Amino acid sequence: MIFSKSSKIRLKFFFVITLVASIVFYFVYSNLQKNVVYFYSPQEIKNLSTNPTNKIRIGGLVKEGSLKKNKNTYSFVITDLKNEIFVEYTGLLPNLFIEGKSAVTEGILKDKKYFVASSILAKHDENYMPPEVANSLKKNKLNK
Amino acid sequence: MAGAIGNLALFFSALFNVLLIVYLVKRIKNNDFKNLKIINFFNDSIFFLLLISFIILVYCFVISDFSNVAVYKNSHTTKPLIYKISGAWGNHEGSMVLFILILSLFSFIFARTTIDDKLKFYTVFFQSILIFIFLIFLIFTSNPFDQIDPKPLQGLGLNPILQDPLLAIHPPFLYFGYVGFSLVFSFALAGLATNSFDKSWSKIANFWIILPWSLLTIGIGLGSFWAYYELGWGGYWFWDPVENASLMPWLAATALIHSNIVTYKKDKLHSWTALLSIFTFIMSLLGTFLVRSGVLNSVHAFANDPYRGVYILSAILLISFYSLTIFIIKSPRKNFSGEYSFLQKDNFILINNCFLIFFLSVVLVGTVYPIILDAISGKSISVGPVYYHTILAPFLFVFLFFMSHGPLLSWNKEDKFSQIKNFKIFFPTSVVICLIIIFWLFDYKDITLILGLLFSIYLIVSVIFDWIFQKKLSVNLGRLISHLGFGVLIFSIFVNAYLSKEINTAMKVGDEIKIQEFLIKFKSINKVKKENYDEVFGNFLVTLNDKQVELSPSIRKYDQPVQFTSETSIRSNLITDYYFAINLSEFEKDKIMVRFYYKPLMFWIWLSILLIAFGGIYQTFRIRNEQ
Repeated sequence: MIFSKSSKIRLKFFFVITLVASIVFYFVYSNLQKNVVYFYSPQEIKNLSTNPTNKIRIGGLVKEGSLKKNKNTYSFVITDLKNEIFVEYTGLLPNLFIEGKSAVTEGILKDKKYFVASSILAKHDENYMPPEVANSLKKNKLNK
Repeated sequence: MAGAIGNLALFFSALFNVLLIVYLVKRIKNNDFKNLKIINFFNDSIFFLLLISFIILVYCFVISDFSNVAVYKNSHTTKPLIYKISGAWGNHEGSMVLFILILSLFSFIFARTTIDDKLKFYTVFFQSILIFIFLIFLIFTSNPFDQIDPKPLQGLGLNPILQDPLLAIHPPFLYFGYVGFSLVFSFALAGLATNSFDKSWSKIANFWIILPWSLLTIGIGLGSFWAYYELGWGGYWFWDPVENASLMPWLAATALIHSNIVTYKKDKLHSWTALLSIFTFIMSLLGTFLVRSGVLNSVHAFANDPYRGVYILSAILLISFYSLTIFIIKSPRKNFSGEYSFLQKDNFILINNCFLIFFLSVVLVGTVYPIILDAISGKSISVGPVYYHTILAPFLFVFLFFMSHGPLLSWNKEDKFSQIKNFKIFFPTSVVICLIIIFWLFDYKDITLILGLLFSIYLIVSVIFDWIFQKKLSVNLGRLISHLGFGVLIFSIFVNAYLSKEINTAMKVGDEIKIQEFLIKFKSINKVKKENYDEVFGNFLVTLNDKQVELSPSIRKYDQPVQFTSETSIRSNLITDYYFAINLSEFEKDKIMVRFYYKPLMFWIWLSILLIAFGGIYQTFRIRNEQ
C-alpha cells in the first residue's frame, strides 16, 4: 500500500474538490465572457479588423447639429473629433443627453459607420465625462 | 481660524498616535502587559482630538468658510443647512476624517468596555497602527483643512444628486459598517499574536462582528433605497461596482458571523474564523479603494488624484501582508476530537460559508476583472447584470435549501428523526403555498421564478415553524428575525423581477393614453420656486382596474451648479409601488418624456432588509446584556 487509509480519503476529497472547483470556475468564466460588454471609441472601431457581433458600447461626443428625430427613433453622430459613427436609438433620451457633450451608448454595431443603440447610459452630472471618452479625445487632440 | 484649530487637533492626534505606538512597542519588548491606564489615556485622547477636528470641519461647512478648500469645492451659501452638514462627509477629505474617527471610536469603545488584559493591549496596538496608516494618508494627501488665499466669495456647490436627506445618513451607516470591521480585524490579530484564539475570544468578538454587520446592512439598504427613488430608473440594485464594493464585506462578514458561532459553540474552525476576520476588513478596504480612488466612474468617485489611489492600494497591500503574515505564523492549530456526523449544525454552517465565499468570489471577479483588464490591456469593459443573475441564481436556491435545514439541526448528535419530521411537515406546506401563488395569482411559469419562490417560501415556512416550536426563543430570536428577513427579501426580489412593468412614452398636458392595462392621464403642470432650485411638477392620474393613483413627478433646475435632475413620485402600498419619473425632451418642447413603473413588493424588500439588520441589532443587545 502506497497510501494509508486516511490519505486515500484525503486524496478522494482532493479530487472531488478539484473537479467541483473546475466546473464552477468554468461556469463562472464562460458566463463572464458572455456578459462582458467592451467599450470602443470611434477610432478603435475604425481600426478593428472584424466587427464584433455581440453587444458593445461606444462613446464620444454627440456631434453638434446631428441629433434628429423620426417618430420614436433618434439618430445622431458620435465623434471623437476625427472619426464619426452614425447612431440610431429607439427609446427615451436621458436628461443630460446634450449635443456637444459626451455620451456612451450600448448596442450592436451593424457596420463601421452605423450603430444601433439599445440604451444610452445615464450620467450623474452635466460636466462629467466618462474616462474612456476623455482618453480617446485626448489622444486625437494630441495627434492633430 | 477654526480651520487652524482643526488642523492642530489633527496633528496632535497623529502625534499622540505615534507616541502610543512607540510606547506600546516598548511595553511589548519589556513583556509588560499589566497596567493599561496610560494606554487608555492615549487612546481616549486620540479619539477626542479626532472628534474635535471632525466637529470643526462640520462647523466650517455650516458657516460656509470658503477659505477652506474642501468647503469651497463642495458647498454653497444657498444650500439648506442639512446639506451643508452632510456636505462635510460628502467629499473625499471629509469622508476620510469620518473614516479615521470611526476607527478611533471603535478603539475607544472597545478599550472602555473590555477588561484590561494582554488581548486588549494587542487589539489597541493593531488598531492604532491602522489609525496611523490612515492619518498619514489624510494629513499628507487629503488634508481637510487646506486653505485658499484669497478667500473665494462663493463655493462651487454640492452635486444636486447628492442633496438628499437619505444621502446625509447613508455614508455614516456604511462607514460604521466598513470601518467597524477594523476592530474585529485588530482583535483577531491580537488573538493570534497572544495565542488566545479560543472560545472566550469568539464570545467577545461576536458583538464586534454583529454590530458593524447590522449597520452595514442598513447602510446598503439606504444606498439601494436612494438609487431607487433618486436615479429614476425604477431599479434598486444595478450591480454597479460601488454597490458591489459594499456587498463584498457584507458577504464576508455574514460568513464570519456563522463561523464564529461554530468557534464559540464547538471550539472549532479557529483558523477559518481568524482568516475571515482579516478578510472581511480587507474587503472593506478594497471597497474604500474602489470607491475613493477614482478607478470607477460613479457618483462616489470624488478623488481623481492618482496618488491617493496609489496610497490606498499600497496601504491595503501593506495591511493584507502584515495581517496574513501574522496569520500564517500564528495560525491556531487545534485538533478536534469528538463525535462526528454529517447531519449536525456545524457542517451546515460550513456549507453556508462555502456558498457565501462563492458568492463573494463571483461578485469580486465581476467587480475587479474590468479594472485589472483595463490596467493591463487598456481595454474598457463592463460586466452586465446577467452575469450575476445567471451565476448566482442556481446556487442561491441550494443555499436557501441548506439555510432552511441547518438551524433545525442540533449541534452534536445526529438527529435524523426530527429532520424527517420537519421535512414531512414543512416541505409539502411550502410546495402547496408556492403552487397556489404561482398558478392562481400569476400567469408566469418561468422555471427560475418558480424555483426562487419555492425555495424562499421553503425558508420562510421553516423559520416560522422553528419560531413556533422554539424552546429558547430569546437566544434564537435574532437569528430567526434575520433569516425570516432574508427569505422575505429573496421572495420579494423574485416577484419584483418577474412582475414589474414599465411604460415609456411622450405626453403633453391633457393627454390620456392606455398602454398595457394602465390608463395614464396627464392632468396639469405647476411650478414651484425653492431656495436653491426651481421645480416643475407634472400631475398624472394612473388608473388600473378602477384603482386610481395620483402621481406628481418633477424636474428640478438647480442654481449651483446649474443642473437638471428628475425627481420621482412614488405611491407605495403593501402590494406594489407606482413609480413615475419625467424627463425634458430635446425635440418636442411641448411634450414631456414620461416613465412609469409598476414595481410589486418593493415595500417588502425594504422591510426585509430592516428585518435582517434588526435581527443583528437585537443580537448585539442580547450579547451586551449577557456579558
